[in-house]
Amino acid sequence: MFYRLAGVHHTRYETARALWPIPADRKQVIVAGLIALVAPFFLSTLYLGSYMLPWLIWSSAALSLTLLMGMAGQLHFGFASVMAIGAYTSIHLARLGIPFELALIGAGAMSAVIGTVFGAAALRVKGLYLVIATLAMQYLVDWVIINVPAISGGAQATLRTPEVSFLLFPIESLTSRYYLALGWAALLAVFLMNVKRTSFGRALTAIRDKDFAAAVIGVDPFRYKLMAFFTSSFMGGVTGAMLAFCFYRAVTPEQFSFNVSIQLVAMVLVGGLGSVIGGFLGAAFVLLIPIVLTNFVAGLAASGWLAISSNLLAHVPLMIYGALIIGFLLLEPLGLAKIYDNTRKYFLVWPFRHSRS
Amino acid sequence: MGAPTNGDRSPVLVCDNVSRWFGGLHALKHVNISVAKGEVFGLVGPNGSGKTTLVNAITGFYPPQEGKILFEGRQINGLKPYRIAETGIARTFQNVALFKGMSVLDNILMGRHIYMKPNPLASLFYWWWAKKEEIAHRKKVEAVIDLLQLESVRDEHVDVIPLGLQKRVELARALSAEPRLLVLDEPMAGMNQEEKEYMVRFILDAQEALGLTVLIIEHHMDVVTAICDRILVLNNGSMIAEGPPREAIADPQVVEAYIGKQRDAA
Ligand SMILES: Nc1ncnc2c1ncn2[C@@H]1O[C@H](COP(=O)(O)OP(=O)(O)O)[C@@H](O)[C@H]1O
Ligand SMILES: [Mg+2]
Repeated sequence: MFYRLAGVHHTRYETARALWPIPADRKQVIVAGLIALVAPFFLSTLYLGSYMLPWLIWSSAALSLTLLMGMAGQLHFGFASVMAIGAYTSIHLARLGIPFELALIGAGAMSAVIGTVFGAAALRVKGLYLVIATLAMQYLVDWVIINVPAISGGAQATLRTPEVSFLLFPIESLTSRYYLALGWAALLAVFLMNVKRTSFGRALTAIRDKDFAAAVIGVDPFRYKLMAFFTSSFMGGVTGAMLAFCFYRAVTPEQFSFNVSIQLVAMVLVGGLGSVIGGFLGAAFVLLIPIVLTNFVAGLAASGWLAISSNLLAHVPLMIYGALIIGFLLLEPLGLAKIYDNTRKYFLVWPFRHSRS
Repeated sequence: MGAPTNGDRSPVLVCDNVSRWFGGLHALKHVNISVAKGEVFGLVGPNGSGKTTLVNAITGFYPPQEGKILFEGRQINGLKPYRIAETGIARTFQNVALFKGMSVLDNILMGRHIYMKPNPLASLFYWWWAKKEEIAHRKKVEAVIDLLQLESVRDEHVDVIPLGLQKRVELARALSAEPRLLVLDEPMAGMNQEEKEYMVRFILDAQEALGLTVLIIEHHMDVVTAICDRILVLNNGSMIAEGPPREAIADPQVVEAYIGKQRDAA
């Protein structure tokens, strides 16, 4: 077998808390990383630009949101607006001639500040009201962007991203944009794994699981929820900028509409709350649905089995996201990541049935 | 454990005329206690007599509307629970309140929170910033795991281990905060005789090893008489007896309170 748990025994605290304590997992990550690194050399432009690149960026978005939703347990139905703030901020900063690296940080900071203000308001309330408060953020931010020409560039305007370079590399060719997105996704993945193994992550999980028990050992629930909003929004803002500069290259408000927020929630839930691998799986799943579906229905229509209007077809993916969110919540709240983990454990201990890792 | 208090030991915890209402219900009526350093102080009384309410008042969940609570001479009523935790008080709950999504180890590590400096940048730069701190606190926690004999379940998820062990993990979480006052709300509820004996042993070991003062709510009278230096008996929120356990329990009012409850229940 490829996987073995046998003989893995940690004698030092560091190695027990390594990112991938099991050699088999380590090998798998190295292989995946190598494939991602050489992808531009063997993938066609179509696959690299229309599948891999958006997948990496949306995975980054899902990872950003899962810190808040999965680890800290705070629902957010307006995360697309957080990304919009980052996207617009970065474009305006870059247009002002500010170096792209700083523009990215500025994008994160702007999203973090505005996201935290809304978070603070939202935290006065709980549960369903939190959802409504985050929805309010979505609509308010949308409204402001559309109605302030200085931000959107005028009604129904499209803002093109200026030419920039990152650490002296021009971000122009597909390959360079791909590597930048890959680097950001990898950074977020490592960050989240580090959060999980440090006191910050434990404090977030503690307030999610039992806020009064967290308080009794010294965690200030409000402060940590705000920190979760801040961190998550910062990541989301930079991801919004990545989306603008690496993928769309021209932004309009519709790219960050409420539908997108729903897709992000679906990615996090389908992938598995708080899971890093789940962020990648969830994003892939949600991105592939409309493609698979369109091909499937088009196939049916072509063979004369089914007549379906293109108008209805456009709405089917949204209905499927809704069904998926509910389905995963009811049947497998831990999402695809759990299914992946079960499979992994099965092979780790094969031919035995149970493992403890 | 030791001789009953004598005057030269300074009080660690003082409740002065503490009252608490829930709506019209007067759940704590002018309660006074003074717990000396190193003492094991028991809170006893029939169900619904206000024991948990007193503990909730001390730990800041339901601050008293009247009266004062002093910890090591400093007034703590009015402070938020997380501030009270920082002053050196740790507690367990009557109904186990562990973090379900975490392993046993991570739950106990949470007890170190007040000594750590959690922040996202420290996590981002783990290798240069957080790693050393994590390992240092892991060592402290391992000592507690050792003391409470939790090695075998260290890496399990807390929700898959039996209730008796969960209570022990909760005790470990409280102990790893290195409190000077440990508050235990029915730590042996739902345990069999053997588990109870273990728990008594662990509490006494910990008290001795860490020089703790302990405030314990306990139903089992055998346990109370075995480990408490003094007890307070509450009934309907009022203090009805106080003193060394055997004497307090023999007080006619206490006997009446318990028998009265049984009569009501019958
Ligand atoms: N949060 C609360 N809201 C309303 N009533 C409460 C609350 N907590 C406790 N009580 C009431 O206060 C009284 C004392 O309860 P409690 O302190 O839990 O008793 P004990 O721990 O001694 O069994 C009970 O009558 C209980 O119903
Ligand atoms: Mg109680």
